Parts: sequence; structure tokens; C-alpha cells
Amino acid sequence: MGKDIREDIAWAQINKDVLKSLENPKKLYWVILLIAIAMVGVAVGCEIYQYQTGMGVSNKSNSHVWSLYIATFIFWIGMSHSGTLLSAILHLMHADWRKPIYRFAEAMTTFSLMTAGLFVLVHLGRLWMVYYVMPYPNERWVWPNFQSPLVWDMFAIATYLSSSVIFLYVGMIPDLAICRDNIHAGWRKKLYTVLSLGWEGTDRQWRNFRITYLTIACFLIPLAVSVHSIVASDFAMSNMPGWHVTSFPPYFVAGALYSGCAAIITLFVILRYVFKFEEYMTLPIMRKLVRLTFAIAMVWTYLNLIEFSSVWYGHDQTAKDQLIFKATGPYAPYFWAMIFFGSILPLLLAFKRFQTHLPLLFVVSIFLNVGMWLERWMIIGPSFAHGHYPWTWDHDQWPSLVQWGIVFGSFGWFTLLFMVFCKVFPSVSMYEVKEMVYHRTLALKNKPAVKGEH
Amino acid sequence: MIENSFNRRDFLKVLGWGGATVALSGCGNTSVEDGREYVTSYVETADYIIPSIGTYFNSTCAQCDAGCGIMGRVREGRVLKLEGNPDSPINSGKMCGLGQAGVQAHYNPDRVREPLLRNGDKGEAITWEKALQLVSEKVASANPGSVAFLTGGVSGHVKVLLKNYLDAIGSDQHYVYEAVAPSVVRAANKKAYGVEMPRLRLDRAKVVVSFGADFLGTWVSPVHFSRQYAKFRKGVNGERGVLVQVESKMTITGANADRWLAIRPGTEGILALGLVNALSAAGLTVPAEVAAAVKDYTLDRVSNDTGVSVEHIGKLTALLKDRSPSLVIAGGAAEGYAHGSQNAAAVALLNQVLGNVGKTVEAPASMPFPQMAPITGNRSSLQALNDSIAQDGVKVLFNCGANPIYSAPASMNMKESLKKVPFKVAFAHYMDETAMEADLVLPLNSSMEGWGTVVPEYFAEGAQLNIQQPLMEKLHPGTLGMGDVLLALLKQRRPAEYSGYEDYYAYLKNAMVAIKGALGGENEDDDVFWDSVLSQGVVKLTSSSNALVSSASAAGLQLPPPAVEDGTYPLRLIPAVTPNMRDGRHANEPWLQESPDPLTTIVWDSWVEMHPKTAAKLGVVEGDIVEVASKNGAIKGQVYVYSGIHPDVISVPLGYGHEAMGRYSKGVGANAFKILDPVFDQQTGELAMYETRVKVTKAGKRVIVVKDEGPAGGNQSGRRIALRMASGKVNLAEEV
Amino acid sequence: MSITNLLQNWSDFRQQHPSDERPHQEYKWAMSIDLDLCTGCNACSVACYAENNLPAVGKEKFSHGHSHHWLRIERYWHNEDREYADQGAQFLPMMCQQCEAAPCETVCPVGATNHTADGLNSQVYNRCVGSRYCNANCPYKARYFNWYDYPTTADVWPAPMEQQLNPDVTVRGKGVMEKCTFCVQRLTVAKSNARTEGRSVHDGEVQTACQQACPTGAISFGNLIDPESRVAKQWEKQQVKLNHDKQAKDAVHDGDKLRGYRILENLRTYPSVMYLEQLREGAI
Ligand SMILES: Nc1nc2c(c(=O)[nH]1)N[C@H]1C(S)=C(S)[C@@H](COP(=O)(O)OP(=O)(O)OC[C@H]3O[C@@H](n4cnc5c(=O)[nH]c(N)nc54)[C@H](O)[C@@H]3O)O[C@H]1N2
Ligand SMILES: Nc1nc2c(c(=O)[nH]1)N[C@H]1C(S)=C(S)[C@@H](COP(=O)(O)OP(=O)(O)OC[C@H]3O[C@@H](n4cnc5c(=O)[nH]c(N)nc54)[C@H](O)[C@@H]3O)O[C@H]1N2
Ligand code: SF4
Ligand code: SF4
Ligand code: SF4
Ligand code: SF4
Ligand code: SF4
Repeated sequence: MGKDIREDIAWAQINKDVLKSLENPKKLYWVILLIAIAMVGVAVGCEIYQYQTGMGVSNKSNSHVWSLYIATFIFWIGMSHSGTLLSAILHLMHADWRKPIYRFAEAMTTFSLMTAGLFVLVHLGRLWMVYYVMPYPNERWVWPNFQSPLVWDMFAIATYLSSSVIFLYVGMIPDLAICRDNIHAGWRKKLYTVLSLGWEGTDRQWRNFRITYLTIACFLIPLAVSVHSIVASDFAMSNMPGWHVTSFPPYFVAGALYSGCAAIITLFVILRYVFKFEEYMTLPIMRKLVRLTFAIAMVWTYLNLIEFSSVWYGHDQTAKDQLIFKATGPYAPYFWAMIFFGSILPLLLAFKRFQTHLPLLFVVSIFLNVGMWLERWMIIGPSFAHGHYPWTWDHDQWPSLVQWGIVFGSFGWFTLLFMVFCKVFPSVSMYEVKEMVYHRTLALKNKPAVKGEH
Repeated sequence: MIENSFNRRDFLKVLGWGGATVALSGCGNTSVEDGREYVTSYVETADYIIPSIGTYFNSTCAQCDAGCGIMGRVREGRVLKLEGNPDSPINSGKMCGLGQAGVQAHYNPDRVREPLLRNGDKGEAITWEKALQLVSEKVASANPGSVAFLTGGVSGHVKVLLKNYLDAIGSDQHYVYEAVAPSVVRAANKKAYGVEMPRLRLDRAKVVVSFGADFLGTWVSPVHFSRQYAKFRKGVNGERGVLVQVESKMTITGANADRWLAIRPGTEGILALGLVNALSAAGLTVPAEVAAAVKDYTLDRVSNDTGVSVEHIGKLTALLKDRSPSLVIAGGAAEGYAHGSQNAAAVALLNQVLGNVGKTVEAPASMPFPQMAPITGNRSSLQALNDSIAQDGVKVLFNCGANPIYSAPASMNMKESLKKVPFKVAFAHYMDETAMEADLVLPLNSSMEGWGTVVPEYFAEGAQLNIQQPLMEKLHPGTLGMGDVLLALLKQRRPAEYSGYEDYYAYLKNAMVAIKGALGGENEDDDVFWDSVLSQGVVKLTSSSNALVSSASAAGLQLPPPAVEDGTYPLRLIPAVTPNMRDGRHANEPWLQESPDPLTTIVWDSWVEMHPKTAAKLGVVEGDIVEVASKNGAIKGQVYVYSGIHPDVISVPLGYGHEAMGRYSKGVGANAFKILDPVFDQQTGELAMYETRVKVTKAGKRVIVVKDEGPAGGNQSGRRIALRMASGKVNLAEEV
Repeated sequence: MSITNLLQNWSDFRQQHPSDERPHQEYKWAMSIDLDLCTGCNACSVACYAENNLPAVGKEKFSHGHSHHWLRIERYWHNEDREYADQGAQFLPMMCQQCEAAPCETVCPVGATNHTADGLNSQVYNRCVGSRYCNANCPYKARYFNWYDYPTTADVWPAPMEQQLNPDVTVRGKGVMEKCTFCVQRLTVAKSNARTEGRSVHDGEVQTACQQACPTGAISFGNLIDPESRVAKQWEKQQVKLNHDKQAKDAVHDGDKLRGYRILENLRTYPSVMYLEQLREGAI
């Protein structure tokens, strides 16, 4: 395997290359930005209509009360996990190859969470009463129901989101100082000056920085695991056949990491191409990322098999009926598409020659996420259509255009946030790439005979 | 069965409105802004009005002819809900869904609110003075004999006034039309038992065999029969009553039967005679004349003709023989053929042979005031009107409570026929199809706004007279009660006799007080008597029973062999009378449209019901739009497939497919009345409702049938939800 | 406001679970429905519309599963593979089963649906945020959501139809969940009257609207605590115990002499509605 990064990149070159990505967006950037804004516009329009008219316009029914919003909510929550995986877990494991790519992954985490959170709001029948879910002091002494996984959800997401933002920001401080020092006019200068908190790069600052960063990383890992476990509890804690599954929390976490990694591959390819980050987002790093993704895909597949077999060999006939329904009923095409995209397609990633084939990886990674979205949809749609009570089964509750519009718009919203981020903040961690280059030169100096990784 | 006796009356007296000017400040009805003088402030309201607490007034349900007693819950001047009057022997506190929807007839947004005079295609609002003046002129200018009334079933004092008015103008043309009525059975009963409708004691029967009488859903007095059914099921000494329903299309009664026997349409009489023969063979004493008459109805032949298996005939015979008394009833399905009278007679014969007469078939109470007894409607009366119109015999036609343009078969061409009447007056609640054709439309009070007396068609116990009193103030100032209009018309003709009555209320009170002796109040003060009558809502009359004939005779019984198939029109159409829609007069009440049909669970539409075999033959599945064509027209509908129907027939519910009437009924479903073939019962001349032959063809697209039932289609899919067990395993006597 | 209060408030949500030490004090409302008497006539369902201000939503909305029948009559067939449904149908009135351990309650984020001291599953419209989680977790799918704002929807209550609305019952706006309440407004009046007279509500004094309408008397309703109530006697006779998820009688071979059962009892929802099995005659 080739080296993750060239040892002879000048530090000034790193600054220059990365800072360049903050400069003058091309025309295409604006076009995409406008498209993203238009997509958000569609979603906002749909939401206003739904808010005014009633949840009925989303075409759910009394037996099928949840739909795309919740499915897409889980999807975006899942998406958020890879950032934490790359920045926190791999940081603690001293996997250096994460360094050039963790920043945007972390941004992705934050923005996915911000997108996911919106779905909770969009889903509520009385959005204007959402604050009832929070425990706040009130005259009536009324509290939320702490037994409800939805309340845990609220806490988990809020904590995770705020922690992620802090983590992203703290990790960016040295780089923000570089931005401040290299940009001499305009609002950017002011912004970076304020945000870099007077970073000078003194020894004390670095010491404090490392401790803070490590602490937040340690804090974030259990949070990340818990947040999706809690989302899984929304389902596992209920008595709906198809949901009432003990293995849901790990299954959800695996699925989350899976879709997150796939999204990182997608964005990796895009950023590498757009910002000409070939020197930093190198093919060996991609290979590691792809291998990681493949491993997670297999874990996900395994957990799927566990779920299916525990249902199949268990005594709960209702859950079994539900599984059969998923695989053979009107949702079967989606179910099998999920299996194909989630478990079959990633087998490609096992082949070395595909592991660095960027165009293919780009396409495959998108399909992996289609598969992951379908996974979430397969948890919601068919379960409602075939629950405990046969009289209320339904097959025809196809989400309305309003729902699709909002789901569609959420991708625009994510794109919008991400694109703005890329032009305002360095999407590659300069100081950590420098560290990486430095480590590599050290390694080469000490062990000239050793090939490959540092 | 122990009943929860409803004791609200213990603490809330049920009241009667004491005065003709019912004046209560309701929400929005009566206010100073309306320019009304008699707002009663709660400062000074009657002592029984407590803000926020409901008050109950007894009255009578007007949604069908059964005449159930109701209690209207009134609060702050508005009637909110109808509950059954526990003291009414007919329904003892219970009500059906149709009855409950009465408040929606009252509050209906599509009610006619003022008199309308035709001006071209439009109706122009006019005053009542002008309207009555116009009527007076038209009646005066017509030949006295050429003024006709077309009504639905009427009874009580309105009937008396109507008769008096016709007498006053010198006409005898009163036609009473009901599109759906057991007329043939009545005629057959008259012959067999000497009375039109004997009192049926389901509660005493151990076995009930109903030949298509939907007594739990739509037939005669469904709430009363449901009460009886409950007792019948609980049985005497815990022996649960057994219900067998014989019909070609399942009714809700059929759906509750222990055995539902799908019979080839029209062969009900054959099965009845087959049972007589089998019973006689099994050792039941049967008059020789009868036994001889039925000896050809052998098991094999009957099974062959009717499609009912030999096994089931055998079991039914054994059941009838072993468990006595039983009760055999002929209903809509049996009577709806050209030989309907014969079918009904055969069924009556079976009842007589079984010795049920006098045990479960009792003499009904007779109405001591025949002038108030209900006139029951039928279709031949409409035919008579049609004939009279054709001979130019009708110059002024009053129509009240009948909607022949909607419900008469197309072959009668009612719309064209009525066009020949120069002046048509419609008393209307809605602008229904017939009111649309009228020259003058007179808006009526709802049954919750007006005064009246009603004599039920079917007495549950003794004879009774029901009170109808306003449950609240009129919603629309421009409506009047039928009694008031008739009184006004009478004042035009016989001022001396009637001008003493300020309004119908005064007339009614006077008339009731005049017969208070017969109503059990001979020693009471007039006002005390009147108040008690109003607060009871039901007056029980002392009456004698009619005599029953009970000699079984097969004389004159002539049953045709099963009908041969018509090549062009291979299927029979059963126009189904459903509990929600009945004949369609209440189609504009949204609760009824949204209340799923009990058997198909379909809402807000009509449907074409067929057996899976028939559907396979036609190559259709649920939701296919098909055309149902008879010789007299065609309608379209969505297919519903299920196995509660004989493969030789299809069924379309009645009551849908209105072209007018209101927002909830117009354009909803198709009108099956329109395609009925003009085939008549040979003895009574009644329309043979089930004789229509149709062909069914696919007519294009497929729709999703809007119904409550999900895709599991009434299958519990292995879940333990609705459980059933063999009755032999349970001792009902031990249950609470 | 304090932590103690918070915890107290929280534990209050579940205090009425039948296996708790604090059983129902005065009232435990319960029903029994005799499926052998239910004819499927729908009178009860319409009565519920009238009593509880249920909107008739119209064909279009009904087709999207937006109906509001708190009490729906289900119709099942037992005629697998036979030519005709010749043993008739089975009708089953299904409303909120007022589960003692109601799955809908535990999941509601805001405690908008919770247990009353009378053993009812209450629904607080004002508190509901419309997450619909309760419905997702109701095994009987007895909850109905206000997908639209029916009071302002055309032709739902056009004037003067709104005058029929029962002032004792809230007219629900869009976005809140609703379901059968056992006609709690009637219970409140009865309890209040009884309290004024210093006694308990006696059997038969209060009826639910569905029970009151039912022509065959298939529905009985009353106070399970009161041993003299018809409902208590029926439960007793049928050996159905409120706080059991498996009834002892079902283990006995002879158990099928008793008709009483509760639907999906195995899910440990402890429903307050007991059904009595439909009967069919074997001699025909
Ligand atoms: N039908 C009808 N409706 C009416 C009226 C009427 O006459 N008839 N009157 C109207 C009028 S004038 C008014 S003012 C309103 C009153 O309407 P509401 O304000 O709803 O009146 P209450 O029901 O008296 O009180 C509300 C709640 O406050 C609780 N409560 C009592 N003390 C305290 C306390 O110290 N702290 C807290 N947090 N809660 C407490 C009580 O237990 C009760 O549950 O009703 C109006 N509505
Ligand atoms: N026991 C008890 N006492 C209370 C309260 C309570 O909840 N319980 N609530 C307190 C509160 S918040 C309030 S606001 C007061 C209210 O106290 P009040 O003002 O006394 O209120 P009400 O008893 O509702 O109404 C008074 C009278 O007004 C009459 N009325 C109704 N409409 C009209 C009209 O159009 N014109 C005239 N002239 N009269 C009319 C009614 O019939 C009634 O007799 O009570 C206070 N006292
Ligand atoms: S049976 Fe007829 S009279 Fe009786 S409640 Fe029903 S509609 Fe009214
Ligand atoms: S039936 Fe459903 S809504 Fe009613 S208490 Fe049980 S879980 Fe809750
Ligand atoms: S819909 Fe309302 S009652 Fe149901 S869980 Fe959500 S907030 Fe609670
Ligand atoms: S108890 Fe009341 S709320 Fe519940 S179904 Fe019956 S009528 Fe409706
Ligand atoms: S009213 Fe009674 S008989 Fe009719 S459907 Fe309801 S429970 Fe059954």
C-alpha cells in the first residue's frame, strides 16, 4: 500500500493549498448553492402548507402514523455518526490516516444532526407546542414523561448536537488562527479573529488544547453510541412487531456508522476533485476508509441476519408474519433493494482494485446510502402496514408529495450548510496534516528501512 | 337479561314543553340581533333550565316508521343528542344509528328554509301568506276531485287533518307511497293470519327461520326486534335461540344467523313447502290437505330447486321439529318476486304447520282510534296516482314525505308524468329530486321543531300513541309544521270549524284533551293531563287484540319452478335495503354516509356486490368499475366481492345516487331504483323488487374501494381477536 | 418546583398499574361486550359520533385512513375455503380498551395520555404535541389523530350543524390525538352527583353513549370495584381477572365453558374491556 501522505510537503504549501479552498468560489459553486437553496425552498413551502392545513396532507393514516419523516430522521442521525467515529474514535486509537479527512466528516456530523432535528419538528402534529417535550419550570408543575424514549431522544440529540459543534469548533481553533493570520481584510478577518480566541500556538495553549480536545473526544464517543441506541429505543421499546427487537441499538449504531462512512467516501471524492486535495485526501487513505466501510457493512449484514434469525426462530408469530410481509408483500422490492444495496453491493469494496477506483466508489457510496435510507424506510413503512391488529392493516399509504418534498429539501439543506462551511472554514485540518507530515518525516528518519506506513 | 335501568330521570325530570311558544335563548338561534322579542334571559328562565345541565324532552323518532320513543337532550336551547325513551315499549331506551342521525336531519345545512315559488328554473323565496294564498287559489280553481295528495306513511292527528282537508275540498285522492315496504307480506299475512302484521315473539321462539326478513337491520321495527333478538339469544332456561336465515344476499340479520342458507333467488316458497313435507315425513302432524299439497316437494327436488343442500334441509327439519315453539318469518327477499305472495303464503303455511300461531305469532293490538291508525304505503298506490295523472285527473298535487322521482323505477317515468300536473306543491325538508320539480316548495319543520302525534306501524305491546314535541326552537323562521300548514289550509275551507285553533299546537292539545278518557287521564285536570302526556312522550292506549286465524291451508298455493336463466341478462339484481340508507331519504346525513355498511364496510358510495365465483366468471376483482344494465337502464358501480351472496345474483344498495337533495348525498353512488324491471307481484300488483335481470360488464378503470376493512379483508390472520365457540359448550343460564 | 416534585410527578404517571400497591380506590370503570349479542348494527358507533363530537370526514379523507370512529365495528369472516359465509359474520366493536398498563401512556413524551385514578386511559388534548407515538404503540390501533382542523374544514360542521356539538366535550383542533374516553364527561357528572349526595355512583346510574344506544344490550359498563355492578359480576363469573395476563381458567381444560376473554391479553396491556365469545349452534 502506498503512503498516506507525502513526507516532503512544505507546511506553507499545506496552508496555501487549504486556504485556497476558501477562496473565490467558481460559478458551479453558486449554481449548486442556488439549487440547494431552491431545494430548501421546496421543503419550506411544503412545511408551511402542512403546518397550515394539517398533518393530513402528508398522507399518513390512523394505522400508519409515521412515515418518511421519521425514516429520514433516523437516516440523518445515522449519517452523523461517521464524523464522530473518524474524529473521536480514530483519534483515540491514534489512527493518523484520519487526519486529512476528519474535519469535513465532523462538519457532516453537525449538519446531519441539524437536518435530523428538523424532521422531529416537521413530524409533530403541533409543532408550535414542541417545547412541552422539554423539562422547563412552569406554573403547572407539569413535566415531560421521562419514560418516553422520545424525551431521551430530545436530550440525546440536543446533547450530541451541542457537543459535536463544540468538538468541531475546538478542533478548528489552531486552523482558524492560521486563517486569521493569512487573511488580511473583510468580514472573514473579523470572524477568524473572534473565533480563534487569540490562539498564538504557545506551548501552554497547545497543552490545554490537547487536553480539551481529548476530553471532548472521550465524552463524544459514548454519546454517539447512545444517541443512536436511543433512537433505536424509540422502536425497540415499543411493542410493534418488527420494532420490538433487542438487537436494535447495535443494529442502529452499525447502520449509522455504515451510512456515515459511505457519505464520507462520497464527500471525499467530491472535495478531492473540487479542491484538488489529491495531496491530502490520498488514495491510500481512501483505501483504509473503504476497508473500514466494508467491515462495517459486514457487521451490519451480520446484525441483520441476527435480527432475521432471532425473529424466525423465536416464538413471536406476529413478528415473524411481519418479516414475511416485508420480504414478500408490497414492500418487497424495497426490502430486497435494501439487502442488495446494503449487503451485496459492498462486496465490491472487498476487491483491491475497486478500493481506489474513485468514480466507482462515488457511485457505490451513494447507493450504499440509498440502501441505508431504505433500511430506515423498511423499519417504518411495512411495520405500520402489518402490526398486531389485522383489521387496520394497510398497504396503500404511499407518502404524499409534501413528504417527499420535505425529504428532498433536507438534502438541499444539508448541501447548503456543507457548502457554506467549505468556503468559510478549512475542510482539511491544516495543523493535523502538518503533524502527520512531521510524524512521517520522523519515521522515515528513524527507520529508513521500513516501508509503508509510518 | 338484566338491564341497566337508566336513571337519569331520577335527578333530571324529563319534561314537556308547556307552551306553544317555546322560547329559549340558544346559542345563535334566538337573539336580540335577530329582531326577536322573546329572548328569555337565564336570570329569569324556567326553573328546570340550569345552565350547563342537559334537560330531557321525550318525543318520537321520525327517521323511520317504527316510531321509537326518544329523549332529546337539550342544553342552552339546543338539542344535542337523541337517546331512546326507556318507557317506550318499542325500543325501551335503545336507538338505531339511523335514528341517532335525526339531529343531522334537523341541523342539516341543506334544509329548505323558506317557501319557494318556481320562476323558470329557479325558486324564488316568497312569504307563507303568499304561498298559502296561492295554494288556496289553485285549489279553488281546480275541479275539487282533481286535487291529490301523495304522502309517505302517515298517522296520528296529521292524518286526521289531511283527511279532513281532502273532505273539505271534496277529493278522495290520497296516495300513500313507500318505496320500500313489506306490502306483499302484509297482504299474505292478512290472508294467512287475518291481520297484516301479527306480533312476532322472537323472545319466545327457540328457533327463528327468517326467509329474508332483515329484522335486525331494516325490517318493520328493527330496534324492537333487536331487543327481542337479545332475549331470544339468551333463551329460556339458558337454551340459546337458533337463528337460520334463508336469502340470496346476506343481510345483517343473515350475518348473525347460526346458519345462513344461500338460496336460489325466488325459491323461498319451495323451500318452505319442502320443509312442510319433510316435517310431515318426520312425524309432525300436518293437515291432510296440506300434506297432500306438498307431497311433491321431496328433499331431492327441493334441494335441487333451491340450491340448499339436503343435509341442511334435513338438519333444519330436525331443528324445527325438536325445538318448539319456533317462528318463521317472510321478509323482503321472499316477497320480491312475481310470485312473492305465493312465497309469503308458503312461509306462513310453514309457520302454521309448526303450530307457532298463538305462541310466537300473536294477535297485534288494534288501534282504538282508526282515524289515527297509520296508512302504510306501497308502490301500487303510486301507480294509481300515475294512472290518474295520465287520465288528466290531477290538477293540483301535494307531495309530502315521498320522493317518487328518485325512488320509482324508471319504467314509471315519474318525472314526465308529474310534468303533466299543472300545479305541484312539495312539502320538503330538502330540495330532493321531487321537490326540484315542484312549482311551490313549502319548507317543513324538522321533527325536532314541530308538534305531532305518531302511531307506530308495529305495536310492540299494546296500542300506543307517540308524542312528537319540539326539542328546541325552530332553526329557521321560515319553516312550518305539516300540521300547521294543513290547519291553515283547512281554515281557508272550513273557517268556522277551525278558526278557533290558533295553531296546530292548540288543535293538538285540544284534540288530545278531548279523548283524555281513552288515554288514561279521565280524572285529570286538562293541563295536568297534557303535561304528563308531554313528559311521558308515549301514551299507552287501552285496546283489544285483533283475532288471529290459525288454520293451515295450502289452498291456492301455486309456486312456479325456479326461473330459467335469461341469456342476455344472466344475473338477478337484488336492490339491497341497508341499515344506513334504507330508501335513501336520509342520504344527506353525513353520519349515515360515514357509518360503514355492516357487511362490506364501504362508506360514502354504492357498490356492486357479488360472489367470488361470479366475479371470476366476469373477470372482475374488487374495485373494478362495472356497468349493471337491465332492460330499463344502466348504472355503474365498484365491485365488492364476498361470499355472502348467491352466485346467480348481484346486489346494489338502495338509497344512493341522488341527483339533488344536498351536499352529502348528491352524486354519491348510483341509484339502483332506476333500473328495476317493471315486474309485479301477481296478487297484489306490488313491484317485484327482486325480479330485475341484469348483465354486468366491465366499464373501464379500477378504483380503491373506500371502506373500513383493511387489506386483510375480515381475516384475523391467526390473531385471537373475535372468538367464537359452539353454543353447546356454554350454559347461558349460569351467566350474568 | 423541586426535584422531589419532579420525581413525584413522574412516578404518578404509572401509579395505577394494577400490580402496584396502590389499587383503584373508588372506581375502576370497565366494560364487557357480548359478541353473541352484537349484531353489527353500528348504532353504538353513531351514538359515539353524536356524544363525542366526532367529525364525519368525508370520502376523500376516509380513503386516506383519516376516519374518526372511536368505536369501529369490525366484521370478520370464518368461512375459509367454504363456498359461502354460511355461519355469518362476526362483528366486534373495538374502542380504546382502557388498558391498565397502557402501552400508549409510557411512550408519550409529554404525558398527554396517562392513567386516571378511575383506571381510565385519559387523553389531554391541550398537552398533546401530536407525535403520534401513542398510536404507534397501541396494539389495538384505537387512537385517532386530527390530521386536519375539522372545526374549520368545509362540510364537517357547516352552520347550523355545529349547534349539535356537545358542550361537555372538547372539539379537537388539528394535530392532537384522540380516542374513546369511556364517555368520561358522563362519568364526571355521575361522580359529581354522587359526591354531592355523599355516596358512590351506583350501577346503572351512568351509561356510556354506545352502551345506551345498543339495541341488543351487548355492551355493559360499570364499576369493577363495586361487586354489585353487573360488569363486576360478569368478570367474576367469566373468571377474567383484570391484573392477569394469562387467566387461570385458560389453563384448565374445561375452561372453554367460559366465554370471557380479552383481546391481545398476552401483550400484558391489561385491557378494561372483556369480550364474550360469539356462539354458533352445532345442530344446524
Ligand atoms: N360552562 C361554563 N364555562 C365557563 C364559565 C361558566 O360559567 N360556565 N365561566 C367562565 C369564567 S367566568 C371563568 S373565570 C373560567 C374559569 O375557568 P378555569 O380557569 O378553567 O377555572 P377552574 O376550573 O376553576 O380552575 C382551573 C384549575 O385550576 C386548578 N387550581 C386551583 N388552585 C390552583 C393553584 O393554586 N395553582 C394551580 N396551578 N392550579 C390551581 C384547579 O384545580 C382547576 O383544575 O371559566 C369560564 N368558562
Ligand atoms: N362557587 C363558585 N363561586 C364562584 C366561582 C366558581 O367557580 N364557583 N367563580 C367565580 C368567578 S371566576 C366568577 S366570574 C363569578 C361569576 O359570578 P356570576 O356573575 O354570578 O356568574 P353566573 O352565576 O355564571 O351568572 C350570573 C347570572 O347571570 C344570568 N344571565 C345569563 N345571561 C344573562 C343575560 O344575558 N343578561 C342578564 N341580565 N343575566 C344573564 C344567569 O342566569 C345567572 O343567574 O363567580 C365567582 N364565584
Ligand atoms: S328504528 Fe326507526 S324509529 Fe326506531 S330509532 Fe331507528 S330510525 Fe328511529
Ligand atoms: S387500547 Fe390503545 S389507546 Fe387505549 S389504553 Fe390501550 S394502548 Fe392506549
Ligand atoms: S400524539 Fe399526543 S398523546 Fe400521543 S404520544 Fe404524541 S403527544 Fe402524546
Ligand atoms: S364509551 Fe363513549 S367514547 Fe367510548 S366508544 Fe363508547 S360512546 Fe365512544
Ligand atoms: S350497537 Fe350493539 S349490536 Fe349494534 S354494533 Fe354496537 S355493540 Fe353491536
